[in-house]
Amino acid sequence: MILIGLDRRDYMDLINLNTPLTDEDVRKVKAGDVVYFNGEVWTCRSLLQKKIIDEGFEMPFSTEKRNVLIHMGPIMVKKNEKWTPVSMSPTTSIRFEKWIPETIKRWGLKAIVGKGTVGEKSRAVMKEYNCFHACPIGVYPQKLVDSVIEVVEVHWIEKIGLIEAPWVLRVRDFGPFMVDVDSYGDSYFEKVEDAVEKNKIKAYEMLGIPRNFEYSSLY
Amino acid sequence: MISLEILGEAIRSTIIKAASELPSDVAHAFEKAIENEKSQLAAESLISTFESCKQAREKGGLLCPDTGWPLFFIKIGTNAKIEGGLLELERVAKEKVKECTQKGYLRPTMVHPITRIGKGDNIGDHIPHFTYKFFPGESLEITFVPKGGGSELFGGTRYRVLAPSDIPAGIKKFVIDAYIQAASAGKICPPSIVGVGIGGTSDICMNLAKEAAVLRPIGSHNRDEEIAKLEIELKRAINELGIGPMGIGGSTSVFSVHIEYAYVHTAGLPVAINANCAIARRATVRIRESEFEFLDDPNWFG
Repeated sequence: MILIGLDRRDYMDLINLNTPLTDEDVRKVKAGDVVYFNGEVWTCRSLLQKKIIDEGFEMPFSTEKRNVLIHMGPIMVKKNEKWTPVSMSPTTSIRFEKWIPETIKRWGLKAIVGKGTVGEKSRAVMKEYNCFHACPIGVYPQKLVDSVIEVVEVHWIEKIGLIEAPWVLRVRDFGPFMVDVDSYGDSYFEKVEDAVEKNKIKAYEMLGIPRNFEYSSLY
Repeated sequence: MISLEILGEAIRSTIIKAASELPSDVAHAFEKAIENEKSQLAAESLISTFESCKQAREKGGLLCPDTGWPLFFIKIGTNAKIEGGLLELERVAKEKVKECTQKGYLRPTMVHPITRIGKGDNIGDHIPHFTYKFFPGESLEITFVPKGGGSELFGGTRYRVLAPSDIPAGIKKFVIDAYIQAASAGKICPPSIVGVGIGGTSDICMNLAKEAAVLRPIGSHNRDEEIAKLEIELKRAINELGIGPMGIGGSTSVFSVHIEYAYVHTAGLPVAINANCAIARRATVRIRESEFEFLDDPNWFG
């Protein structure tokens, strides 16, 4: 079996990043590095993207100096009149593929965090606009909740609901997130997929699936 | 007679337990995977997820913020009696889903399919969903499954019809190929529990796959020896792929493969897979008269 990530050289440098990110920050991280964020980050999901990009609404807040976006819908409850996070973990980025290229350009994003990875179009725009995508290496909502120092702002709760609303958070050691697509266009998951393709031959053999197997066409 | 008060309290605790405490078989699977992992990044992935699960239990947080679809699987003892009648069961369950959503134990994820807006309480047409079985006795056994969106939406659910001439290689290829696509880049949060449905009609087949994925504990096997062998064979083969936890590469790509089958029309064979997240959440409660206790095993196919 070919295994990716067998030792640290394969994947990681631990990098602490302060937000807003500079172009220099973005250039120094490579696919496979593990990053933590400090400063302001903000969240969004598809309803915000749809309202702004497809339906032409004005953004309800300024994204200036807020160039790290987390694809995430945190669970928030109000305790003593203050919004408090209960649980949070980044959500699957690929489903936003239609909007990601435009969000990078329009909102000046330098980093996007989401589960999994992004598609070809986003990858091209990330390379052109010097931006990277990072993903959680596991599911650790408690760790992320504990990294939130303050809920800075929230908008449009009435309009799109608690989960889809953009939350601006001040965070410390927010991570770990692995850079899966860097600003040079390299992809970590592509390396894994290549290995899996090779390993698949062995798996087929173990199961006695003939190499030339084809499904009968029924419809 | 099961009082509404006991019923409500039992359902409420079951929802909270499912959202915040790993079933013991899943916790054990994490420990075993951490022990066996050869990739350092994969080991860190498994450890960080497992640690977070332990913290969630201690701090009363959630195992995963995506509590997904609220699903109830209910075994009704033929002599079970509920105050006000059986229909009260669904009313109370909905009330508790709403209450648990408002208190932050469940995320308000359920929305209208077209407008994409929900009432913020996880209640709507056909949601929460109820599946029933009858069994002898006077108790009620309720399993609550918060079924995550990742494993349900991004390739973890597939269906296809095979010709009789494609069996058995076609079944195996279908499972392997579908799993590779679904687990790629961690979309379905592997290592998953893969439920496989074989036979029946399309809906029977999908239901079997879903129930195999979410209701059978890791380590259980199909009663049919040949099918049990196929479960082991598929699990070994998938773990040879090197997909790893969250798709980052690693020795454990799947926790378990569970197959359930139904008799089928002689002309063809429906097959389906349904994956459950690595953080495979479920909790089962048995209610009898004025008492309730939690069970490790939903014993759904038992």
